[in-house]
Amino acid sequence: MIDPDILIRKGMPKGYFKDIFVRISLGSVTYLILLIAVMLFAKIVIDGAPAIFSSKFPFVDMEFLTAKNETLHVFDDAEGTRHKLPASKYNEYLKAHPGDTIYNEKTFSYSGGGIAGPIAGTALLTLGAIMLALFFGVSAAIYLAEYAKQSPFIHMVRLAILNLAGIPSIVFGLFGFSVFVLAVPVITNMPSDRSLLVVPLLINDFCLSFQGWNSSLMAGCATLACMILPVIITASEESLRAVPQGFRDASLAMGATRWQTIRKCVLPYSLPGILTSSLLAITRVAGETAPIMFTAAVAAKDDFPWEGLKNPLDILSSQVQALPYHIYTLAARIPNSEYTQRAQYGSVLVFLILVAVLSFGSMILRAKLRAKLKW
Amino acid sequence: MVNSPTETPVSTDRAVQIRNVNFSYGSKQVLHDVTLDIPANQVTAFIGPSGCGKSTLIRCINRINDRIPAAKVTSGSIHVHGIDIHREDINLHELRRRVGMVFQKYNPFAKSIYENVVYGLRIAGVKKRSELDEAAEKALTNAALWNEVKDRLHTSAFGLSGGQQQRLCIARVIATEPDIVLMDEPCAALDPLATLKIEELINELKKKFTIVIVTHNMSQATRCSDRTAFMYLGKLIEYGDTMQIFENPGNSQTEAYITGAFG
Amino acid sequence: MASEKSSNAKTSHKFQRSGFSYEQLIRFFFASNAGLTIVILTLIIAFLLKEGLGFFPGYRRDLETYRIAGLEFVDISRNNLTSHEQLTSLLNRAYYAEVNGKSARELKRTEEASALYNAFTDQVGPTRDLIINNPQARTDANAGMKAALLGNYEKQREKALLKPINTPHLTAKEREGLLESLRTRPPEATEDPPLVAALAQEFVAAQQKHAAPLQEFRTVIDDFESAGFDLGSIIMEMTESVTVTKEQLQTADILEKDRKTLLAAASGEKDPVERERLLADARAALADKPDVETPMEALLERKPECARLHEALKTASSDALKKIPSRLSDPDARRLLGAARKAWPQFIADLEAAPKKISAWKHTDPVPLSDAILSFLTGKKWVTGGEWQDFYGILPLAVGSLMIAMIALSISIPVSISAAIYVNHFAKPREQALVKPVIEFIQAIPSVVLGFVGILVFGTILREISVMDAFQWVPGFPIEERLNIFTAGCLLALMSIPTIFSLAEDALNNVPSAYAEASEALGASHVQTAFRVMIPASFSGILAAILLGFGRVIGETMVVLLVAGNRIKIPDFSEGLGAFFQPSHTLTGIIAQELGEVPLGSVHYRALFVVGIVLFAVVLGINATAHHFVNRAKK
Repeated sequence: MIDPDILIRKGMPKGYFKDIFVRISLGSVTYLILLIAVMLFAKIVIDGAPAIFSSKFPFVDMEFLTAKNETLHVFDDAEGTRHKLPASKYNEYLKAHPGDTIYNEKTFSYSGGGIAGPIAGTALLTLGAIMLALFFGVSAAIYLAEYAKQSPFIHMVRLAILNLAGIPSIVFGLFGFSVFVLAVPVITNMPSDRSLLVVPLLINDFCLSFQGWNSSLMAGCATLACMILPVIITASEESLRAVPQGFRDASLAMGATRWQTIRKCVLPYSLPGILTSSLLAITRVAGETAPIMFTAAVAAKDDFPWEGLKNPLDILSSQVQALPYHIYTLAARIPNSEYTQRAQYGSVLVFLILVAVLSFGSMILRAKLRAKLKW
Repeated sequence: MVNSPTETPVSTDRAVQIRNVNFSYGSKQVLHDVTLDIPANQVTAFIGPSGCGKSTLIRCINRINDRIPAAKVTSGSIHVHGIDIHREDINLHELRRRVGMVFQKYNPFAKSIYENVVYGLRIAGVKKRSELDEAAEKALTNAALWNEVKDRLHTSAFGLSGGQQQRLCIARVIATEPDIVLMDEPCAALDPLATLKIEELINELKKKFTIVIVTHNMSQATRCSDRTAFMYLGKLIEYGDTMQIFENPGNSQTEAYITGAFG
Repeated sequence: MASEKSSNAKTSHKFQRSGFSYEQLIRFFFASNAGLTIVILTLIIAFLLKEGLGFFPGYRRDLETYRIAGLEFVDISRNNLTSHEQLTSLLNRAYYAEVNGKSARELKRTEEASALYNAFTDQVGPTRDLIINNPQARTDANAGMKAALLGNYEKQREKALLKPINTPHLTAKEREGLLESLRTRPPEATEDPPLVAALAQEFVAAQQKHAAPLQEFRTVIDDFESAGFDLGSIIMEMTESVTVTKEQLQTADILEKDRKTLLAAASGEKDPVERERLLADARAALADKPDVETPMEALLERKPECARLHEALKTASSDALKKIPSRLSDPDARRLLGAARKAWPQFIADLEAAPKKISAWKHTDPVPLSDAILSFLTGKKWVTGGEWQDFYGILPLAVGSLMIAMIALSISIPVSISAAIYVNHFAKPREQALVKPVIEFIQAIPSVVLGFVGILVFGTILREISVMDAFQWVPGFPIEERLNIFTAGCLLALMSIPTIFSLAEDALNNVPSAYAEASEALGASHVQTAFRVMIPASFSGILAAILLGFGRVIGETMVVLLVAGNRIKIPDFSEGLGAFFQPSHTLTGIIAQELGEVPLGSVHYRALFVVGIVLFAVVLGINATAHHFVNRAKK
């Protein structure tokens, strides 16, 4: 029989201070991460806000979002008034003031006008890549979740998915460059000198030439799609497997074929989940720079991708500007000065808002989906 | 309806005294006004259909239910050796050392057999190797496991069979020399042979410890317990000597249950 | 499946076949899409190898040319001369560190005053130039314009003086005086403000005063420096001749390649006339073998002279080592001098070995393929697009990548695992609902944005901190470059925190709750349960999390490309931990930076693909190890 008094403590509970110490130090580390994230976001918002928000209605500087990207000219007129004009307006100014001398002229590449070109390019790249990846990824996931049994083939597919997911993005850049830019087949009547293989098609002079798509929208989309494929497959397979087995059994028991079962009883229920997780994939595709550096992106382009095309399909083989690559150019290739800040912080803020909306959107959708779908 | 000594004053010679305990998980009340005394150095069994609150009740005795958010004793009191376990200055860690618990599913840590047994001592601050060795041997011997594991004390606990693992968990509990051992369906996950060994062990252990056992298995209750409490829908229906409960139940629900009419 | 077949069997034969094959077709379609992943992975490996493997023969030929033309011979001497220059520079830096260290106060004062003055001139400069240079504004007729300019100038001056930069080492009076002199400064003034000039003088005077006792050291350094002049001039002469030979060899190589292309085209050509023309071209392209022997003989004749100069330099160096002061007072100077002393014996040994090496060198020695492979894997130089000779040694890049990863992981491992333990074991559900989405959001931030923040924000802050007096004890401070290994490491730490955090949190979450329950039932406190049960039980998972974080850090491109400083050189470890504050280049960064600028199919182009192969193999190895641990954790 114990002495009951030992159950009553004298002073603080055992390890009380140690407990508090550990809790506080671990907690402060955790909140430090949050603090850094918030500070980072705040810094960009504070510095970038002047570029895209204005005090007047509609409170957003539409010009920054809708104008093309241009070189910024900064100069003083004879009276010492400073002008900051993008190239097109600068030329107008010169025409309007013939004979005037201008002083202290400086030019800042990419710093004038807006960022409509990069936004459009990123939108096209993302759209193309996600469409490709969803098509192939969901199909592959259907096979893995609905048809596959244990076999060496499935084992290899899973191994390939696992490895693809780990490959650094720059290696995808090398891959996209050597395959999509330089090696995939095209149909042409003038094969290039460096074509790897030319197969005559026996129709006029046309032949199938393995010479690649050059640096173009479609090469970029294909590279990004390959990179994102494992993410889409894994997420889709998870969504498919979340549909209860009973649904399938019931459908098959009614005499439906497997494909009918999948189409009518599995896909409709897993589609919301697939789309939600592909939102996250979109943030990743939109944010990647390394894979598109050599496959699709250009730093400067005068026209929107869809302008000046003879054939609407030519858009696929044109190079585009892209927001992440634009930010890279702004950060690395031009000197930092007070005149470039608007373009730099403005672009980053727009990009960050885009990413934040997408990623928080996917988080909220996911939470809703979990609340709604309870089998 | 309850034939228990409600008016017995709180005293130190009763191991556990439960008085008018109401308990709820959030808004769902699972124990209704439960009152009973558990005598020292006897085996007390709790029987009843699933969800009747018997596990919840014994989990209140060492306050392990504190881990579950929103679960709490809303009224009533529990005394262990005359000390109210809900008082402000209770030494919770000491209480849990003194009121050990064996769980339904055997749950040794991912450590060696030896480290599992001395875990309770280590966290209590015992560092001396000789002391730990001695306690480990004693606990394993008491748990009837020493001869089976003495040659592989430092191998993983997961290498043992299910019954051995459960006995290891019992050794882990008795290594800290508790006073009361709570057993929450200790044989639920075991095969009949292993169950038999545990029951033999319980009969051995009751010489030293006060044992409270929750069981589904009525024959187990008759085989090992001195006193039996029957619970139903969160209420204590009947409590008395095991012989009396099984041979001459005073309540029709108890009779229906032990004759297998429901449950 | 079985029920389908039997129901189909009852219907007509034709129907059954078409139904069956339709389902088969769909199944095949999905299977082929799953197989696409294998195809992509195979294509990645195949094309990396296709573009990369040609590197080694090409590089071997480069190295062969390097030897045949005699560049290698010149480099024997040149390497020693470079060491000599490095030693001289170390001594010089030690000397100036000593002098400036003693005049540190004056140095800071003059620097601060000039910085303030320069910031001011930067602001008002353009307008000021306009006042002076605009011919229109100088005529009296344009008085209005002149007044406008002056008004403008004054406005900018006020703006510039609104928030002048901090000058902690100037007295309040001096600062006030300087600001006042700037406020009243006429736009035409060209001379420096009095205080700036006075402080510059003060500094020069202090330097002279402290240099006087070091006169002897100065002489030693100067003598040592001039001891290398003779070797330098002979190297210059040899360089000219071997460069010519090398160019001849390269031209011949190109012609030979053209000829082969023409011959190949001719053999495929069916039209006899055209074929004849191609063959004629090929014959025309047949180059004379360039004469390498004559210039080589001239070069080899210089062997004795080279050897003699090495001997002379060795004697001078041994003398100098005896004469350099044993102790300097400034800590920086001591460190630099120590580094020089440490490098000295190796330098002397190299000089001693040089004559033998020179006489043993033969331009006819073959260059086996293994030399090219070894030179790639262990080469300390990555030099491209140079006049002299291109080297593709992966070490500087690998060392840069590894050092950045070390910094990143040494920050992110403790931070993210602490956070994971906190969120999993201590945090209330409401805290979890706050922390997890924010960390998930960090993961979504594109790396180029982080790189941008690194360039414009973090690097600048780091440099400002590094010049503060309170932090001078940190090795490597004050930093020379704001973009360096440490900056990149910090940003990569932020990038890898979400990866490690979420995987480690998962691992902790997967520990059965029965463990925690059993532990607490035995009387363990919350902290004891966390550290003695939860963490050991999830150890494999946490290890896998760390490894995957490592893989992510090594493979990351944009942050390091923007922030690591991109200097292709193995950091100077003589600075100790200060080496982490030097700029560096990385495996990923070099590909991103150079691939866009190299000619397709060149040796340089292929070298980048080999770097890609190395990266691919390393990251895959890391991930495979991580998954091994994950699988072990699952058991």
